[in-house]
Amino acid sequence: MLRLPPFNNSTIPPHPRRQIAGAGLALIVTLGLVGALLAILAAGGVGTAPHGGAILALVGLTTLQAGLSTLVSIAVGMALAWALNRLRFFGRGVVIALLSAAIVTPGIVVAFGLISVWGRAGFIADALTALTGTRPDFSIFGLGGIIFAHTILDGAFAARVLLARLDALPPARLKLGQSLGLRAVERFLVLDWPALRGALPGLAAVIFLLAFTSFPIVLMLGGGPANQTIEVAIYAAVRLDFDLGRAVLLALVQIGFCALIVSVSALLRPASLPTAPSQPSRWRDSRPARLGAVLVLLGLGFALLSPLVAVLVEGIPALPVLLTRPTLAPALLASLAIASLSSLLAVALGLIAALARASATRPLVRLLLGAPLLGYLAVPAMVLALGAFLLVRNAGLDPERAAPFVLILANALLVLPFALATLGPPLDMLAQSRGRLLRSLRLSGTVQFFAVELPLIRADLALVLALGFCFSLGDLGIIALFGTDQFATLPLMMMRALGAYRSADAAALAALMLLISGTVFTVLPRLIAKVPDARA
Amino acid sequence: MLKRMFLLVAASCLGLAAPAAAEDKPVLDVYTYDGFAAEWGPGPLLRAGFEKTCACTVKFTTAEDAISTLRKVQLEGPATRADVVLGLDTATAPEARATGLFVPHAVPVNGLVMAWDDPDFVPFDYGYFAFVYDTTKLPNPPKSFEDLIAMPDSFRIVIEDPRSSTPGLGLVNWIAAAYGDRAAEIWTGLKPHIVSMPRGWSEAYGLFLKGEADMVLSYTTSPAYHAVAENNPNYAYAEFTEGFFPQIEVAGILASTDQLDLARAFLTYLMSPEAQAIIPTTNWMYPVRDIGPALPAAFGSPPTKIIALDDEADFAAKAKARVDAALAAVQ
Amino acid sequence: MLELDQVAFRYPGSARDYRLTLSAAPGEITAISGPSGSGKSTLFDLIAGFLTPRSGTITLNGQTLVPLTPEARPISILLQAEPLFEHLSVAANLALALPRIARAEQQRRLAAALAEVGLAKYQSRSASTLSGGEKQRAALARTLLLDRPVLLLDEPFSALDDTTRHAMRQLVADLTRRKGWITILISHHADDVRAIARHHYRLENGQLVAATTPD
Repeated sequence: MLRLPPFNNSTIPPHPRRQIAGAGLALIVTLGLVGALLAILAAGGVGTAPHGGAILALVGLTTLQAGLSTLVSIAVGMALAWALNRLRFFGRGVVIALLSAAIVTPGIVVAFGLISVWGRAGFIADALTALTGTRPDFSIFGLGGIIFAHTILDGAFAARVLLARLDALPPARLKLGQSLGLRAVERFLVLDWPALRGALPGLAAVIFLLAFTSFPIVLMLGGGPANQTIEVAIYAAVRLDFDLGRAVLLALVQIGFCALIVSVSALLRPASLPTAPSQPSRWRDSRPARLGAVLVLLGLGFALLSPLVAVLVEGIPALPVLLTRPTLAPALLASLAIASLSSLLAVALGLIAALARASATRPLVRLLLGAPLLGYLAVPAMVLALGAFLLVRNAGLDPERAAPFVLILANALLVLPFALATLGPPLDMLAQSRGRLLRSLRLSGTVQFFAVELPLIRADLALVLALGFCFSLGDLGIIALFGTDQFATLPLMMMRALGAYRSADAAALAALMLLISGTVFTVLPRLIAKVPDARA
Repeated sequence: MLKRMFLLVAASCLGLAAPAAAEDKPVLDVYTYDGFAAEWGPGPLLRAGFEKTCACTVKFTTAEDAISTLRKVQLEGPATRADVVLGLDTATAPEARATGLFVPHAVPVNGLVMAWDDPDFVPFDYGYFAFVYDTTKLPNPPKSFEDLIAMPDSFRIVIEDPRSSTPGLGLVNWIAAAYGDRAAEIWTGLKPHIVSMPRGWSEAYGLFLKGEADMVLSYTTSPAYHAVAENNPNYAYAEFTEGFFPQIEVAGILASTDQLDLARAFLTYLMSPEAQAIIPTTNWMYPVRDIGPALPAAFGSPPTKIIALDDEADFAAKAKARVDAALAAVQ
Repeated sequence: MLELDQVAFRYPGSARDYRLTLSAAPGEITAISGPSGSGKSTLFDLIAGFLTPRSGTITLNGQTLVPLTPEARPISILLQAEPLFEHLSVAANLALALPRIARAEQQRRLAAALAEVGLAKYQSRSASTLSGGEKQRAALARTLLLDRPVLLLDEPFSALDDTTRHAMRQLVADLTRRKGWITILISHHADDVRAIARHHYRLENGQLVAATTPD
């Protein structure tokens, strides 16, 4: 009967096997990254050290950009989530689906969409010209443009995640709040903020990493070399100088810096929140508050969605021609196959990680279980591509044949941080708010998962599945060196069209990807909600 | 139903990864940039044309761009499967030569529009970096870099980042070749006009087509695309009095090849009138051989004032310093 | 008998020393009262196994509980703060108490337990739609299914209106007697204590002080 120490009497149910699985995953991802870096070093030897001051300046510049992008994205996401939670209107589902689709849209598509609306010859400038007779002089290029584009990508995602938290507020709490006559501001502070707070650290870390490593958007909208990122220095080290040692060094600087940021956010424990079904309940707001919500929705909705709508408007007329291209079907099929497989893999890995982290009690263990998975986001794309290529070659595989599988794995790893950020908070909250009950019921890990946890996170799983699918659909991936002329995906085909003057085809492909993403985000959650719960 | 669809999709994905049907014919492995080999590029037609005569299979293996194919070969070293690297240019060929991975091609080169005595590489097309504009929107384009600098600040150009793009690097070289020590001064002058320095040609050209810039750094052959493929004669390149800087695309044979004869035959085919007739309307560059009426009239005649370099190898070796200086000047 | 003998505990950084001695018999309700902050939750966690005493013994029928994890202790708990999983139906909540038995048998026992607490028609209701009293009763049905020798109740009646509270109290008292449970009721309501508890302790300055047993 005697148990050997360490004797676990935490109020969070310990599940050693979950933690072992999570630790294994974190270890494999870490080893993969280390292996990739070592493979590059082995291929290129020790390089010339980059100029310290220049790197510091780059890091500073990138941090400023990424920090502002994160702040604005979170603020915009909270405002939009608030407005969408309060308002019910026709087309709400479509708006939410489009918001979700934003983050998975290739950056270059978003940038072009942004320019269609806000550019010198864009929709807004044209409209103002028609109204005032003179062409307005504003520019979307510069730091503002970069942050704007990142907010479209990441702010919309934040809104989607935070909306799920608000919609999950227990109806009883809302009733109580309503009966107390909470005003809009009070309701936000008393009911909404505690629910949102838990999701913020994970969300902010992911957004920061995305913005920190963003490359094509920064170069395209930065308006010249004043706005730079450390990624472009790494790109130059490999491509222009073939100085692999320096590329690895720069990558280490970036990874180290991002690790610092992630660690800080991971140490913040999510606040606990009673769990409830995701059935949004109604809340009767005062008239000014409702008006405010409408204004927020219209303003931010327009800002975030109009570039995406522009992509559709420009691309859809060219779709019929695109559909006649014989290369479309194989590319579409390959994209769908890769997206399906990598999203399933992402969900599986995300569950392993989130379950392990929810059963960890020490902050350090939580950090070690979670941070390596985010590490993947911090690795420069060029280094990842190089490392994957070398690892595959060193393993004696043919890169060209391995390309689809590498793409599936890479995409799954790319989605993993989002999976963790989405699945983690509800599981954490369950473990913390119902820990005594769970332990006292003596549930096995399997029963706990299928009978308690799965019903709780079904909607989140659907979101991650959709996210993983669409991310993989739109990701150019890390197979730049793998030799891919026999193999095309939709984004690859789009880049080829752009590179061959075929802007109409490229626009049609961008629209097609956006349409597929939007559809998946609309349909998949409904599909999963309809799967009968055998245990209910 | 869903499950079956999924299996179908998964199976087709695996099919993509399955080995190609084994054939007894020798295989010529050509490493090239993605845009050359893929849909819309000259690759598919050239492969078909060469395979008709060679009793062999041509296999393209691609990387993102030309310089990446060189990096790929460097990474693979002597173990590389590649027989031919196709798509390096005047700016990168000296570096490729210095790797020692290439052998002299020993292919007779004659009858081309240019004099050619490079022992390692043969040319297959060429063009000149140039600023392209829409004649309906810009009736009086600048006639030189200094003209361009003197334009009002609202006159905007989009150029590619020299660290990530071939034309971007080309502009750095062009200005350096034309202005020598005054290059930094030209770059500083250009700064207020640069609306964006995106990662690659695709993004830059896209910005230009969307109306974000009055001129885009591209090629003298770009207007031909619009004229031939879109029947739109409104695009032109700005004639700069400094002269133009050429980009000659070349192919070379790797020392580690096991198909030396095939590789030589392929290089010869690349310069043949048949292959040269394919290239202009697929790669949108000038042919290296006079192909007469096969060249659409829209290509016009290439610019005549060309900037020649005294010492190409020395010039290429200093590329890195030039890029840094140019970036510093516009910082 | 559940017995705490000189159970010592102190939170890191806290000045208060707990030294708890208590004895509770089967078939009887033993009540612990005390103002908020007096340490009622600490006592709960010590008995349930979520805190480990520095010294002293906790025994059930002579067997020590101290080295056992919360899972291993033969105790069912009913917490005011976390009675049910709100995202599950009432039936799914109760089924957690009967994980490894045939479905038909599970259904039968589940229905019986719900009937016992007066929630016969509540099986498919979502737990989140239940009132406070209904939640407590559903949770009590769950402890009925678990049927462990010790029942630990933490403020089970606090959120209830008078009628419900009265019925619920009676239910706990009946079940305790019938099942022979050792029931520990932690409550700051003197009323509850007076109504059903056989023995009554007050928590004062980290000590359990025997109070007058109500008649």
